[in-house]
Amino acid sequence: MSNVTLTIDGIEITVSKDKTILEAAKTAGVRIPTLCFHERMNPIGSCRMCVVEVEGFTQPMAACDTRVQDGISVTTNSGQLFRIRQDSLKLILVNHPLDCPVCDKGGECTLQDLVFEFGIDKVEYHAPKQDRLSEYATSLIRYWPDRCIMCLRCVTACREIKAIGAIDIRGDGYGSQVVSVHPDKCESCGECLMVCPTGALTENLSRYKGRPWISERVMTTCTYCGCGCQLELNVLNNSVIGVTTRDDAGVNRGSLCVKGRFGYEFIGSDERLTKPLIRKNGKFQEAGWDEALALVAGQLSKIKKESGPDAIAALSSARCTNEENYLFQKFIRAVIGTNNVDHCARL
Amino acid sequence: MSDILFSSWGGEIIDNRGKDPRDFESVSNVTLPGHFKQDQKIKALFGWYGIVLRSADVNIVDLCREYITEVQAKSCGKCFLCRVGTKVMADTLTRICEGKGSSADLSILSRLAKSISESSKCNIGQSGPVPVLHAMEYFAEDFAEALSSKGSISAGTYISKLTAPCMDACPIHLDIPKYVECIKEGRFQEALDVIRERLPLPGVVGRVCVRPCEYHCRRTILDEPVSIKYLKRFAADCELAGKKEPEYRVVPSAKKGNVAIVGAGPAGLTCAYHLAQRGHRITIYERLGEPGGMSAIGIPDYRLPRHILRGEAGQIQKMGVTIKYNTTVGKDIMLSRIEEESDAVFLAIGAQSSTMMRVKGEDQGYRGFIPGVKYLQDINEGRDPYPEGKKVVVVGGGNVAIDCVRCSFRVNKSDVNLVYRRTKNEMPADHVEIRDAEEEQVKFHYLTNPTRVLAENGKVVGVECIRMELGEPDDSGRRRPVPIEGSEFIIDCDIVVPAIGQSIDLSLLEGTRGIETTRWGTISVNEVTKQSKLKKFFSGGDCETGPGALITGCAAGLKAAAGIDRMINGQPIELDEDDCFDKFFEAVKVFDPTEKIGLLGGQKSRHLEMLPPEIRKHTFDEVEQGFTAREAMAEADRCLRCYRVATVAV
Ligand SMILES: Cc1cc2nc3c(=O)[nH]c(=O)nc-3n(C[C@H](O)[C@H](O)[C@H](O)COP(=O)(O)OP(=O)(O)OC[C@H]3O[C@@H](n4cnc5c(N)ncnc54)[C@H](O)[C@@H]3O)c2cc1C
Ligand code: SF4
Ligand code: SF4
Ligand code: SF4
Repeated sequence: MSNVTLTIDGIEITVSKDKTILEAAKTAGVRIPTLCFHERMNPIGSCRMCVVEVEGFTQPMAACDTRVQDGISVTTNSGQLFRIRQDSLKLILVNHPLDCPVCDKGGECTLQDLVFEFGIDKVEYHAPKQDRLSEYATSLIRYWPDRCIMCLRCVTACREIKAIGAIDIRGDGYGSQVVSVHPDKCESCGECLMVCPTGALTENLSRYKGRPWISERVMTTCTYCGCGCQLELNVLNNSVIGVTTRDDAGVNRGSLCVKGRFGYEFIGSDERLTKPLIRKNGKFQEAGWDEALALVAGQLSKIKKESGPDAIAALSSARCTNEENYLFQKFIRAVIGTNNVDHCARL
Repeated sequence: MSDILFSSWGGEIIDNRGKDPRDFESVSNVTLPGHFKQDQKIKALFGWYGIVLRSADVNIVDLCREYITEVQAKSCGKCFLCRVGTKVMADTLTRICEGKGSSADLSILSRLAKSISESSKCNIGQSGPVPVLHAMEYFAEDFAEALSSKGSISAGTYISKLTAPCMDACPIHLDIPKYVECIKEGRFQEALDVIRERLPLPGVVGRVCVRPCEYHCRRTILDEPVSIKYLKRFAADCELAGKKEPEYRVVPSAKKGNVAIVGAGPAGLTCAYHLAQRGHRITIYERLGEPGGMSAIGIPDYRLPRHILRGEAGQIQKMGVTIKYNTTVGKDIMLSRIEEESDAVFLAIGAQSSTMMRVKGEDQGYRGFIPGVKYLQDINEGRDPYPEGKKVVVVGGGNVAIDCVRCSFRVNKSDVNLVYRRTKNEMPADHVEIRDAEEEQVKFHYLTNPTRVLAENGKVVGVECIRMELGEPDDSGRRRPVPIEGSEFIIDCDIVVPAIGQSIDLSLLEGTRGIETTRWGTISVNEVTKQSKLKKFFSGGDCETGPGALITGCAAGLKAAAGIDRMINGQPIELDEDDCFDKFFEAVKVFDPTEKIGLLGGQKSRHLEMLPPEIRKHTFDEVEQGFTAREAMAEADRCLRCYRVATVAV
């Protein structure tokens, strides 16, 4: 790709010609406000917040969806652009309730931030309340139709990132809404939940457990399989109240499956085993690690001695890391001396 | 003399209000037809380009309300400003019309109108508020009056329609912006469903359409048209690649009848498809042993592989349509018999005979003298029409002539010539096809006309030609070619293929009375309803228009199906609202090539990969390789979604 040179707010910048104005602005260090735009998806273009002016062209253009051209001069702020951005936000607030105090997203909501930034203290536009369905494709996610601004990130993520298309937009104009068109196809992966910029999609497990800013986010590796997805455990008072992801972390870049995204409650479960158990007289009894390990080692040595190493078979877990699995098979082959080793993910 | 009171169409302000009608200034950039339906006088047009007002008794404020309400109903909901903004505007205007408006409402209207039109994602939102802004500027008193009066304004009578430049130009009016958007968003099956609502041959038309839509694509103003044809093909190919069977929804009409169709070309097949979807029993009589008409025996396989055509025709048969092959109406079965057995008959016999050149020697039956349609039919049926012949001269400048020359290489003719009496600029053939033929090394002889076919022992040995020069323009606006005295010369050849035109074999009409024909030898029917003077008979496609294009044939089939269905159900066959809008938009052009769009362009069309000329010229394998999904989605992303609403006050 050849390069082109353009100016953005007077800053000259050279970028490859397949870049958008928004990407070029980022390189130039100029911030253009966005709402529907998401790095991992094709430009959606629903919010019109990123409109910019290009000298010599009468129509403002969406920076996210307009490719650069050599020699153009872009302005990212003007009275006209400010009015358009304000109007876009005001029109959202025609419907969006100001229930931020009870919204799970309060404090990390893009809409909240933008309304603050554009100083919108009153909305002179009115329209009757929308009558929308609140059903959603999965019971793990709650859809708040009033809060939904129809940015279509969720729809796009489901279609483009996951190639599923369980949700879509239906209806025309003001009556249009996000609808679960193929709930049967929904994998409850929560991709939509993660990309929603507002509180329109919230996780059903962790509702009202804590505000975003009081919980601590601990980056870790998902324990469910060997993929090694990165996720953040949201921790409050030493218990996990939710899972979030970051678009810039790990092989998964923000995606997870249903287990990684929603299967965290076991961590704090009362039924979880935290100590080894040894069956004595037909009953499981708590034991210490030394005792348990000594028992296992003793029994293995005994069987190997009496019946040979091939009398022992071993199966390891998909929930161990690759390194742990490697060590495990090494141990079985080199120490025990048998090839009877397998892994549950092959089943 | 103009009868327009006010026009702001396209930004040209003509204000004749208060003037003596004799002094009315005329409007240069739009023609407002007098009537919508026969008895409906058009009082005003409100549309994407502004206002054209003819009658003073139209209430502009009420018209604004109606228009924006329509725009809101057509908004797709995919961008904030249009989705919510036009709703707020519509409600505000309704309030004003009910006598409950305030002056604050006016500032809301004008501010929103500006923001919406300046920044909406597509042309619905960009163009929707335009006439309202014009109204607020030039009809301010009307708004003031509406605000001060406490009563409500009585609503006028309006008719609205959503269109787009490409969609209007497409003879069958495919919803192009919609299916292109489906492809952009990766919903390939949905794209195909949109096409199939009107057209049953997406794979065929997606390969060989003459694409009037692309010549009317608004994107051309910025850079180049959207490759609509290739996108259509892509959608059809996807289904094939996925080995999916299309599902058709049959919505039976109240009364079902027996319909006979003569000719299984594009027109006949499309008519059958639509009638079958309404539950009628259909029999097609076809002279050949194969469906598709000219698209089977005329269009060569390297442009349109036979399995595509057979596949799509096969789908229509699966809907319950019977095709009786190898049955010539007028010979194997008489039209009168068919008439007796059927409730309606659709004649779609195409233009299958070649026109004579009117030169000496062409009527002598020389070996090597082969009319274009026959030449292509033989080759398409796998025969070399004259294996001994190696040097070919094709006469003509249209697509048929180009097909003849390109096919010649593919049956091992070594020397291939095309003789055309005007220059390349005047050639009616598709410029892409001309380029392909040039790449394959056809010898073009422009400004040349044949005068005599030369033969020895009953076999062609050459053609005598004369040089031409361009004179004065003729009726068609093209400069008339005139021969240069004494410039005769001879091209040695053993095959001469005239491909200068086709005519219609009307012999099947013998013995029937009441089906009129025109002086051009075509079947005469109502241009819109496709019904002939003899009520039971409908006709369309090449036999109505003379040699045309696939998509016009398909469009005629769709129209005829609607008429036939109405006839069987005892409903009157007359122009409906869509037909009236077709006529209306012919006058009020939907596409304006001089429009200033004000957006950044510079993204050229994507073209298909092609086999290299040296390889392709010797094979009937398909030359053009379809888009990949990624290419198709990127191409579809170029579409500007130029939907626009027109509201007519009657
Ligand atoms: C060489 C060539 C190339 C072309 N290329 C293109 C192109 O690239 N793009 C494009 O859009 N258009 C093209 N056309 C034009 C296009 O093929 C025609 O406009 C279109 O096929 C017309 O459809 P139709 O149904 O009206 O008639 P036809 O396709 O001609 O079909 C008429 C059918 O009626 C049958 N029939 C006729 N008489 C009788 C009878 N008495 N009894 C029973 N059956 C009968 C015929 O056998 C035929 O099958 C081309 C035409 C030719 C000749
Ligand atoms: S649910 Fe969220 S992501 Fe989806 S459209 Fe509504 S606000 Fe946007
Ligand atoms: S129709 Fe066009 S302008 Fe209106 S909401 Fe959809 S994208 Fe936006
Ligand atoms: S840009 Fe799209 S909507 Fe506009 S005329 Fe072209 S194909 Fe049609």
